[in-house]
Amino acid sequence: MTREILIEHINKVFVDKFELDPAILTPEKRIFEDLELDSLDIVDLVTGLQHTFGIPLRDNKELLQIRTLGDIYNLFEKIVQEHPELEEKLTKEQ
Amino acid sequence: MRTFLVYLSVSICILLYLLVISVPYCITLMLPGRRCAHYMRLLTLYMGKAVIYIALRPFVRVQYSDLADGATAPGIYICNHRAATDAFLMAAFGIEAIQIVNGWPMKLPFFGFNARKCGYLDATQTPLESYPTIARDLIAQGVSIIAFPEGTRSGSTQMHPFHSGIFKLAMELKLPLYPCCIAGNEAFPDRSFKFHKTSRILVHRLPPVLPEDYANMPTAYVLKKHLHTLIAQETEKMDRELHP
Repeated sequence: MTREILIEHINKVFVDKFELDPAILTPEKRIFEDLELDSLDIVDLVTGLQHTFGIPLRDNKELLQIRTLGDIYNLFEKIVQEHPELEEKLTKEQ
Repeated sequence: MRTFLVYLSVSICILLYLLVISVPYCITLMLPGRRCAHYMRLLTLYMGKAVIYIALRPFVRVQYSDLADGATAPGIYICNHRAATDAFLMAAFGIEAIQIVNGWPMKLPFFGFNARKCGYLDATQTPLESYPTIARDLIAQGVSIIAFPEGTRSGSTQMHPFHSGIFKLAMELKLPLYPCCIAGNEAFPDRSFKFHKTSRILVHRLPPVLPEDYANMPTAYVLKKHLHTLIAQETEKMDRELHP
């Protein structure tokens, strides 16, 4: 699966949950400062990502380190590498 | 000099007000919790009116416009927050309400005591999970909740981003949200509590955003952005009116 497909799935969560314009969703965007999410919005974000990827994320400590949208893309690239079954699932949904 | 005179005027006004209401004030303090809170909120409402319409009158004119057609249902009042006077300006709405405040106002002598007696909520001390129960109880009593979701004073005509908490609460309890706009007091006082020259402060209450209006919004984030836009558009208009 290409990084583009992964980014598309992650961006869809932002569009569906926060009605953000896809055009502004670029890797350098800071989650809190630029997109104006706060800690409670992160709960909605995690719920959306869990639903999209079908994996539990609440105990993922690396999620606490994310600062930019690019950090989320990188984290999920790593998660997909660790869970090869996700690749098939996401490609099918594509 | 202006700062000194404003503090003097407000202090004298509050002292005179307390003198006039000293008997009902003392009786109210002896009432059981909920009744005490109810009467304290009314006494505080009129103290706020005395401050903004009498004590501040020699320095600034406060003009209130209700664009909500006199809607009376209790709900959540969402206000922009430019200066410390906002807490007093809430009296312009003429409603029984509590405010959600940052920790420090609760520690002020007299004002902090009154705020606690009124049932104001200290955002730094109140556990998040207790808000729905508290809010449901207040709304059932006909008491509205005033929130400043920017979290801190902006000290300018700019508005900080909103926090989502109060909007999550509104969605959970399906409460009407009243967007409220204040303009003209960004330097009255400034963030160092100095009062600068200003001629008018405008306070507007906009039509409520009802639960059916936001029923299809997926998250509190979308609702907070909607309210932010409504308030930003109105305050821009108000700023243009004040500074043509």
